[in-house]
Amino acid sequence: MLDMIRGELFKLRKRNLTWILAVVLAAYFCLIFFATYGIVSNPPGRMPAEVIEHIKASLQFPKAANLIFHTANNIGIILLIILTASSIGSEYGWGSIRQILTRNGTRHNLVFSKLISLLIITFIGLVISVIVGFILTVITSALLNTIGWDFVTAAFLQEQLQNFGWTLYSLLPYILLTAFFAFLGRSAIAGIGGGLGFFFVEAIAVGIFNQAGGWLAKIPNYLIGPNVEAIIPESVFAQGPFSFNGEPLSALHSSITIAVYCIALVLISLWLFKKRDLTA
Amino acid sequence: MNNNGSLVVKTSNLTKHFGKTLAVDDLNIEVYRGEVFGFLGPNGSGKSTTLGMMLGLITPTSGRVELFGHDVQKELPRILEKTGAVTESIGFYPYLSGKENLEYISKITRGINSSRIREVLDLVELSGRENDKFSNYSLGMKQRLAIACALLNDPEFLLLDEPTNGLDPAGMKEIRQLIIKLGHEGKTIFLNSHLLHEIEQVCNRVAILKKGRVVIQGLTDKLMNKGNVLQIRVTEPDKAMNALQNVNWIDSITREEDKLLLGVKADKYAEISRILAEEHVFLTEMKAAENKLEDYFLKMTDEGKNA
Ligand SMILES: Nc1ncnc2c1ncn2[C@@H]1O[C@H](COP(=O)(O)OP(=O)(O)O)[C@@H](O)[C@H]1O
Ligand SMILES: [Mg+2]
Repeated sequence: MLDMIRGELFKLRKRNLTWILAVVLAAYFCLIFFATYGIVSNPPGRMPAEVIEHIKASLQFPKAANLIFHTANNIGIILLIILTASSIGSEYGWGSIRQILTRNGTRHNLVFSKLISLLIITFIGLVISVIVGFILTVITSALLNTIGWDFVTAAFLQEQLQNFGWTLYSLLPYILLTAFFAFLGRSAIAGIGGGLGFFFVEAIAVGIFNQAGGWLAKIPNYLIGPNVEAIIPESVFAQGPFSFNGEPLSALHSSITIAVYCIALVLISLWLFKKRDLTA
Repeated sequence: MNNNGSLVVKTSNLTKHFGKTLAVDDLNIEVYRGEVFGFLGPNGSGKSTTLGMMLGLITPTSGRVELFGHDVQKELPRILEKTGAVTESIGFYPYLSGKENLEYISKITRGINSSRIREVLDLVELSGRENDKFSNYSLGMKQRLAIACALLNDPEFLLLDEPTNGLDPAGMKEIRQLIIKLGHEGKTIFLNSHLLHEIEQVCNRVAILKKGRVVIQGLTDKLMNKGNVLQIRVTEPDKAMNALQNVNWIDSITREEDKLLLGVKADKYAEISRILAEEHVFLTEMKAAENKLEDYFLKMTDEGKNA
């Protein structure tokens, strides 16, 4: 099993796609930080001072941590859908899935080594996000002439460690959802289509259910997106002057809901992959 | 030879349906240690499906496969340790070099030391090209890499699914010689092919598959009539059988209705007509027998005609 995970990491490391996605990750962070800085350094005339101050604060520590983790979640979902779908789907396209299984005959090993290696990559991607986000925050702070280090306290660091954990957890259901679709459709396209399709369709559905009111408005509480939003650090644009009066989902409710999805997706993927023939 | 220790493959009533398609139909075959076994049949006859079931990639609808006496459904990892396979469509990573592909497979296979990669690359004559990307390999190189990969764990048993498919004559010859060499080294080999002359060149035993069923099997030499087989028709076959049965220089007698097939050398033909005449049995026809395997195969398949 350990060998299989090492093998997966070897393949991911050697693959251009992985590195391209890492570059996209860094580029997206730059885009978000500099675009946000662009807004506050040259604000539209009708923007209230209160809003400008709020956004400025979000580009500096300690509040920048929220921006970092929120951005990591947003772009991470998309990048991981692509990576997961490719990691699993390509094996079918290249026929290498049979090569693996004639070497290491237990199918659940293959499923778990795929998922665990992707989790490791997610962890690394999140570390990269934190580093890039930190550097960008230092730059935007310098541009705003407000560099200071007194935010570094034990409590702050501990909170960020927790945020790191929550963000990692928030990405898990998207990896598993995509893996399920890739196994189901036996291709990378099926994984990407299924993963992204679910992501966007769910977002639209959540909007509709919220508008509908009544018991329909409760449905989003049991979907993936709203629960993911609930466990990651709040978006800059959901706080302060932007905050709305929705009743937030509890961390417990959201963790459990996400866990149920994760377990169900792993079990279905395993069952599907074990049951099916691998014909040429 | 027939003790269980030397039995490498045993299928028992092995059957596979794909929906309404019956791909493999009640298959019973045995392959013994050291044999180069040819599994011959036209496209769609169920060769790859059978191989898939031997490797645990395809679950039988009914019946079972045992390799080395272990049930594939239950003890696959144990079986795979002693097995190497080249499946029909070769599965490597196009963005890795040939060598990196083997390194990856070594990583996920137990008990392969790093010097083995060099050895198998040399064996299939890919040394010098091992750092090229797999996607830049020719079809022949891809096939050879697949064989190298199958040999990484120095398997006792090698399964090859049409390893010469799509190659030019020179490439085919190379692969066949490699298979013959591996056979001489004592490996048990199961070779799927739709080419009669390939099986004839390479295999010592053969089973012909038609629509998922074995229609004939036996030693290649015997089926190809490498010895001398005389075909006769006589007025009274029963009497002829009796007369010839105890002649010690006749190796074999097979009766097909009024036709008798006799395993004898050509210089004994006159002797046979004399013996029969003494018993008042008269020949209506006497000729060297046709090549039975080819005959069978040509009748069965169109591919056979081009082979
Ligand atoms: N995955 C599949 N789904 C449906 N039918 C299949 C599948 N794989 C093979 N078959 C059918 O099973 C039969 C045997 O195929 P196969 O084992 O590939 O034959 P061969 O290898 O001798 O060419 C064919 O009729 C083929 O169409
Ligand atoms: Mg085939």
